[in-house]
Amino acid sequence: MECSFALTGKDYVIIAADTTAARSIVKMKVDEDKIKTLSPHLLMAYSGESGDTIQFAEFIERNIRLYHIRNLYPLRPQSAASWIRRSLAESLRSRSPYTVNLLIGGFDTADESPHLYWVDYLGTMASVPFAAHGYGSYFALGLLDRYHNPDGSLEEGLDVLRRAINETAQRLVVAPGNYIVKVVDKDGTREIKL
Amino acid sequence: MATADGGAYSYSLTVFSPSGKLVQIEHALAAVSQGTTSLGIKASNGIVIATEKKSSSILIDDSMIEKVAVICPNIGIVYSGMGPDFRILVTKARKSAQAYWKIYGEYPPTRVLTQEIATVMQQATQSGGVRPYGVSLLVAGFDVNRGPTLYQVDPSGSFWAWKASAIGKNMTNAKTFLEKRYNDDISLEDAIHTALLTLKEGFEGQMTEKTIEIGVVTVPTIAELEEGKVGGTTGRVKPTFRKLTEEEVRDYLAL
Amino acid sequence: MSIMDHNGGSVVAMAGKDCVAIASDLRLGAGAMTVAMNFEKIFPVTDRIYLGLTGLATDITTLRDRFRYLVNMFTIKESRSIEPSTFAHLVSSTLYSRRFGPYFTEPVLAGLERTPSGGFKPYIAGADLIGCLNFAEDFIVAGTASDKLFGVAEGLWEPDLGPEDLFETISQTLLNSVDRDAYSGWGAIVYIITPEKVITRTLKGRMD
Repeated sequence: MECSFALTGKDYVIIAADTTAARSIVKMKVDEDKIKTLSPHLLMAYSGESGDTIQFAEFIERNIRLYHIRNLYPLRPQSAASWIRRSLAESLRSRSPYTVNLLIGGFDTADESPHLYWVDYLGTMASVPFAAHGYGSYFALGLLDRYHNPDGSLEEGLDVLRRAINETAQRLVVAPGNYIVKVVDKDGTREIKL
Repeated sequence: MATADGGAYSYSLTVFSPSGKLVQIEHALAAVSQGTTSLGIKASNGIVIATEKKSSSILIDDSMIEKVAVICPNIGIVYSGMGPDFRILVTKARKSAQAYWKIYGEYPPTRVLTQEIATVMQQATQSGGVRPYGVSLLVAGFDVNRGPTLYQVDPSGSFWAWKASAIGKNMTNAKTFLEKRYNDDISLEDAIHTALLTLKEGFEGQMTEKTIEIGVVTVPTIAELEEGKVGGTTGRVKPTFRKLTEEEVRDYLAL
Repeated sequence: MSIMDHNGGSVVAMAGKDCVAIASDLRLGAGAMTVAMNFEKIFPVTDRIYLGLTGLATDITTLRDRFRYLVNMFTIKESRSIEPSTFAHLVSSTLYSRRFGPYFTEPVLAGLERTPSGGFKPYIAGADLIGCLNFAEDFIVAGTASDKLFGVAEGLWEPDLGPEDLFETISQTLLNSVDRDAYSGWGAIVYIITPEKVITRTLKGRMD
């Protein structure tokens, strides 16, 4: 089942999402990238109803890009997250709401600080030091509570992420086999092999 | 086409004439200056608005003509110009006041209500298929934020606050008269008498309680304000604007 | 479980002598799981009015934004700041405008109302999710711990408390109530509003 994790550290945000695209009990694909790069310093992991996820993520991606083109500079993470939240909140009370959960991680180049937002399909948004969606959250959040260090180095952050993923793999019956991990910091976004 | 009446520019509202004028608005102002005189005076403890009520025939039952209108318990207005246009504005103003009450649980401050009416009047100068309102208004009201205030609104949609003003037929004379008579600490009683004297200046025929209409704003005392509404918090607000009855007008005229 | 309890959280407001206080917990949950311990539910409206929102978190954020917009428009249009009693009616009519598809929130507001003689009068009010106003002289509670808050506030509150005594009363009321509620807690924040200034204090509380 779908799992995504994210955590902040000293001047970076790590986001990890599993790579399975499943339909009912069948794995249809095992190398799906469910983390979009919205702008040079903004990442978004999405999960939820398949179909909704891609449709919504692409809508967000295109609009954030449009803002960047029109204004020559991208939305800051706080503003982007706020707008994305609003899109979900408006969708919730529409005739066909998107069932999509998000982790939005970004590096604000203006004040040089990392930001992470937990957003669910209702349009609930929280600014948090670490976050998770899916069944993995029941195993990961406890570990993250214990081991997360807001001032930790990237290596330290990746170690904590490994713990969370390993615990999920060990204890969750329907644990995903593979993850894509991405980092955003002052140099932009990049994929990392765990 | 260049003619004395403004030519091709005088019909379409949305077209400026080469001199930068919107001629229809000036025509509307001309309609106002043909209307009966109305005036307003702000006193230290209230405001008076008054107008002359003239009927073209003695056969008209003038008891039903209403030129001073209550908009809400704290605001009243009077006009010079076209009666039917005024009636439309009164209806809109009353609706606007009630809409404000439904949102905020209180009646609008004078300035907000005035601005609302002015917006309606401005829109008539920029929309297709309509003509400007042929009236100028005097809006008198009281609210706890700005106290008693008197505004004049013109067909263009512009509005100002006044200490005393006059509109309609004899406005120039009346204003000159008011300028001589006015001072900042005039009492409401004196202001009512000044208003009647000013109207008398250009009055044709007999000034009686049938041919004069008066509305007054009375500034409540702090004790009255502290007392709040009649019948507790859910009760009715005490009116600060009211029209004088014919008997009251007669008494003022007799003095 | 009701949709009003999905995210958890509680707010309480109390009237004192020439001052009012409003306080909330900081938890944001998704059912039994705690997502954040820094989720604020009380927002400044003017220098003298604070609004607390309990219930569904998405609606808390949406309404916070909406009221900020409405109050900004009011302030510009009327070139004055809104009074608590006026704002209470604005809250009520905004919620009632969604009578048949409501925002799932119960607002609580605390402020100081300017009196005609130039002084200030404590003003607290609450409303249900469709905007039925509830004016109280003593205290207003809302949220998943509202039943506990009622009991404790009933026992601790007394008339004419000064700012510091009111702070102690509201803090103890909130802390002890949320400790008996699984969906509230994880720290608290208290605002004391006096004519001169607003005092903001964050409380630790039990972090379990």
